[in-house]
Amino acid sequence: MAQRFNWLRSGRVITGLVIVTGLILCAIFAPLLAPNDPTEQDILAILVPPVWLPGGDWAFPFGTDSLGRCVLSRLIFGSRIALTVAVFGALGAMVLGSILAHIAGYFGGWVDWVIGRVVEIWLSFPPVILSLILMVGLGAGLQNVILAIILVDWTRFCRVLRSDVMVVAQRDYVAAARLLGFSHWRTITREILPATLPLLITLMSLEMGVAVVVEAILSFVGMSVGAEVPAWGQMIADARADIYSAPWVLVLPILAIFVTVFGFNILGDGLRRTLDTRLTQTERA
Amino acid sequence: MSGPVVKLLMRRLLTVIPTLILVSLLLFCVLRLLPVDVAAMSLPPNATNDEIAAMRIEMGLDLPLIQQYGIWFGDMIRGDFGTSIHFRTAVSTLVLDTLPATIELALMAMGFATVFGVLGGLWLFYARGGAVEVGLDLGSVALLSIPEFLWALFFMLLFGVSLDLLPFIGRLGSGVARPETITGFLLIDSLLSGNMATFMDALRHMILPSAALGLSAAPPIMRILRSSLMDVYQEDYIHQARQRGISEGRILIRHALKNAFLPTLSLMGVQFGFLFGGTLLVEIIFSYPGMGNLMVDAIRNADLPIIQTVGLTYCVMVLLISIVVDVLYLVLNPKLREA
Amino acid sequence: MALLDVKQLTVSLTSKTSTLDAVSELTFQLQPGKTVGLVGESGAGKSMIGRTIAQLLPPGFAVTGGELLFDGEDLVSMAPERRRALLGRDIAFIPQEPLSALNPVLTIGQQFREHLEHIGKGGAGWKDRAAAELEAVHLNEPRALLNRYPHQLSGGMCQRVLIAMAFASRPRLLIADEPTTALDVSVQARIVRLIGEMQKRDGTAVIFITHDLRLAAEICDDVIVLYAGRQAEYGPAEVLFRAPAHPYTRCLELAVPDVTGDPRGLYLLPERMPGLKAIAELKGCRFATRCPLADDTCHMQEPDLAEVAPGHVSACWKSFATEGITPPPAPAAAARGSEKILEARGLSKSFVTNWRLFGGASHFHALKAADFIVRDAEFVGVVGESGSGKSTLARTLIGLETPTSGTLQLLGRDIIGTDGGTRDWRQKQMQIVFQDPQSALNPRRKVGSIVAQALEVGGPSLSAEALEVRIRDLLSDTGLSQEMAARYPSQLSGGQKQRVNIARALCRLPRLLIADEIASGLDVSVQAQLLNLLLRLREELGFSMLFISHDLAVVRYLCDRVLVMSKGEIVEHGETEVVFSDPQHPYTRSLLAAVPKGVRVPQVEELSA
Repeated sequence: MAQRFNWLRSGRVITGLVIVTGLILCAIFAPLLAPNDPTEQDILAILVPPVWLPGGDWAFPFGTDSLGRCVLSRLIFGSRIALTVAVFGALGAMVLGSILAHIAGYFGGWVDWVIGRVVEIWLSFPPVILSLILMVGLGAGLQNVILAIILVDWTRFCRVLRSDVMVVAQRDYVAAARLLGFSHWRTITREILPATLPLLITLMSLEMGVAVVVEAILSFVGMSVGAEVPAWGQMIADARADIYSAPWVLVLPILAIFVTVFGFNILGDGLRRTLDTRLTQTERA
Repeated sequence: MSGPVVKLLMRRLLTVIPTLILVSLLLFCVLRLLPVDVAAMSLPPNATNDEIAAMRIEMGLDLPLIQQYGIWFGDMIRGDFGTSIHFRTAVSTLVLDTLPATIELALMAMGFATVFGVLGGLWLFYARGGAVEVGLDLGSVALLSIPEFLWALFFMLLFGVSLDLLPFIGRLGSGVARPETITGFLLIDSLLSGNMATFMDALRHMILPSAALGLSAAPPIMRILRSSLMDVYQEDYIHQARQRGISEGRILIRHALKNAFLPTLSLMGVQFGFLFGGTLLVEIIFSYPGMGNLMVDAIRNADLPIIQTVGLTYCVMVLLISIVVDVLYLVLNPKLREA
Repeated sequence: MALLDVKQLTVSLTSKTSTLDAVSELTFQLQPGKTVGLVGESGAGKSMIGRTIAQLLPPGFAVTGGELLFDGEDLVSMAPERRRALLGRDIAFIPQEPLSALNPVLTIGQQFREHLEHIGKGGAGWKDRAAAELEAVHLNEPRALLNRYPHQLSGGMCQRVLIAMAFASRPRLLIADEPTTALDVSVQARIVRLIGEMQKRDGTAVIFITHDLRLAAEICDDVIVLYAGRQAEYGPAEVLFRAPAHPYTRCLELAVPDVTGDPRGLYLLPERMPGLKAIAELKGCRFATRCPLADDTCHMQEPDLAEVAPGHVSACWKSFATEGITPPPAPAAAARGSEKILEARGLSKSFVTNWRLFGGASHFHALKAADFIVRDAEFVGVVGESGSGKSTLARTLIGLETPTSGTLQLLGRDIIGTDGGTRDWRQKQMQIVFQDPQSALNPRRKVGSIVAQALEVGGPSLSAEALEVRIRDLLSDTGLSQEMAARYPSQLSGGQKQRVNIARALCRLPRLLIADEIASGLDVSVQAQLLNLLLRLREELGFSMLFISHDLAVVRYLCDRVLVMSKGEIVEHGETEVVFSDPQHPYTRSLLAAVPKGVRVPQVEELSA
């Protein structure tokens, strides 16, 4: 079927892919792209405005912060943290959440009840609060940020996927597969997973955006990778003191976060439309 | 109608109890992973090792975890939430002082979210098929990509710093008289004491933080309202209403919105839970003296009793929101109202 | 003057590049108080007329020619406000799906009140008026009903509410679009009678849209047979049914089995009705490709609608040559063996409906002590209305439900609650064909992979060539072409999907098939093909079948023996011919009586619910 690569024809998917690919390149080639060392402090060049404002200096295209560090370089290096967290956090949350969702939705009964209660307990924590508390318990560090994201956000996958798995599991073709002698494992992987996969991929894309935001939030309150590593949330927190004198130091990392999250969201939205994630629409034929 | 509502309330309140026990257990276990020595923290820096050991025993830190939990939980039931290590005051006093501010902020933000969400959803729905649809829809994806703390910073820069339209620090301006604390809710207290100037000032202080929170919670509401309206308009009863000659306006208000609001409402329950957590960030940014600032200060000071209690309070609030949403859902959905 | 005058009405799907006609030059007149039936298979365009009257056509469709005059006013060019004033007041609709046509979040009273306000009968005392209207459709306790929600009522009650609403304004025209299709047979008969009764009270003219020629013959004055968007024939119902002028009308009648009369074969219309695109490319008569009488003229030139008798028109070059079309002989009785394939003794299934921590639980007995035997190469029919326990029986037999008590033996081997080995063996010997192929076929598997799905597990894995051969055999057995193997289910028609569904169940040559309503919801020509396919497959492969259906005529045609179920019990069983010609149980008799037979029902006099 020629429809297999239809999703590549969506403007949204392409926009998303362009943004995300750009970020990935930024992260990989950060040492080559950055004009300065992101951690080097230049006491003589504090709060230099970006080049398009009067007083700008091409040595610091986006200006410097209150410690005289190059904003552009810090932004470029910050993408490394953001992407690492996005990829591993979302992947982990997806694996944990979707496995539980498939088990709950397929078997139903008490298994579903137990998993449902666990999700309910998790959902009674606002995500921000739970991730903060987890960070308090686990301590700062990149691995712990990723772990916190997984432990907080698996419920997003579980909650949404579970109801879809239940819809698919009610289909007669699932009963038919069982009656043809398929094991539970085979039924889930061959009959149910192909139907839920598009939604899973879409959620994964959206979750990567969420992970970027969570990392920024944790950096912002000083609970992430530590003040010495360049991260966008940290840059925002540092820049708040100079909100009157140097607003660009605050605006630029805000824009970086927005563009990144928008990239993941528009990609997810495009995938949702083209991959036909709504089962009712799929069956419309 | 009240019968089923009471029944649901009873059932929900009963299930809340085991949920809260498990939530507190989870909270307790996570916080016991903490790498700092709480006993040492609660003593002056020049305390001897013996003093620290004595403190550990006094605080019960030598007991098995489950027993420590039992003591903590038992104390809580008796209304004793412990004493702050840093402030040396009862945690319950600290939480009660800050909770009303946070609730006030969250409620106003929910109002904003509902208004933005419903109006935006209707706009998206009516623009469908037209040329503006793509633009609006991309706009809604863009809105979806802006979390509350970015809105907060942006509003602060734009309306606070650049345009100087609205205040953006604290709950009240420096020269404004603080009303006597009756309920703790500034808006209510100032009204009760008849102080309109204070009321207006408090309101102005709340606009930026609550709008930031509301805007971040609104896009999912818009999008689900739009898609539920689209689903509802495919239903036979809409077709039948049109065949009976009912006008389009009436169909929207009486037939479509009532049905489309049900899935929207369940999403709003989840969104408002998130929103309540988001108050923490917004409070920090706007130096708003609520539970969020208490929490972050406590984290900096490793003030365990406060962290525990405030964390639990957030959960209680989220559970309350979900109960309210469930009751509303029951009231609006006759299928669930069977006795 | 005619109340409704339809002149050369054409409705098309228009796009930038093409105009495809869904209804072509429809012409008929409806006098006040009369009933006209619109009959045809799905896709014939019969629902378009109702949608055109309300101007609620699906996206892309528009009236591209002709006039639609209601009492002299053109409904197509009318101002929307004027039309809205007519709709619901002078023109009323009764929908196909009563349960979904009422708003689930509003009470019957709220919806009735809204309607009364619209027709100018609202205001104080609306409750009395609503109650009176509900009483007129023989609903009990109308006042209490006003406070109920749609989901608290049965489908039949919802339809009565909708009929009461429709007749509240004493409309001059009523459009009933398959108003009984979603209902049980006995409810169907009562609803049809009720519409007739109300029609007589108010002198309403009715457009009755149905796929059932016999039902139309029973209740309509005139009948229009539609084929591919065009009138094939239009005339008095009696004449059309007894002595049709158009070959399509004749074929349609002969494709459906009877519940009475001598057994006969089913007339098999080849292929399917052409779709919108195919119609546009046809040069001659639209029916020519499937017509048994077609010759060169038919293929080259489209016949006009011509009067063949007073008040009777037909669009055919060979009108009244239809006696030449005769049904094939009845299928030969199968050579049934004596071996017991399936034996159920006291098979029961009950569900816990209201579980309480203290004070036990209440049970719903879906299946009560069923005893029956299915023998070798025997087709056993199970008939009954919804809620009779038919589907529970099927699910229990196949193992999707565990029986509460009783025994079940397959080929003499106990199959309840047994080990894995027996389960594998059971799955090889007994398979189910599900009702809804839409739900039963995985939309993400290709047809080839679906039919051979059973070979993926259990037993030695086959080589790729052997698998190919098996797929090819299964497709040709079930009358599907080989290129279907590479398609997805969404690319198949309803009949083709059902064949794939059957092919999958037959893959490992089971001894017993359980078929749950597999011929329901199909067009009559597709249904006839499917029934004959099952008979042929039995001859070739030699399996038995438990055939569950609400359609008594189909069961009579297909099955050797029949079980009649009501409220979870088998109330009557025996050889099909014996049960149908001499039913013993009153329930069986009422079921048989409710089936439309194509005989004009004398106008309603003193019938009550």
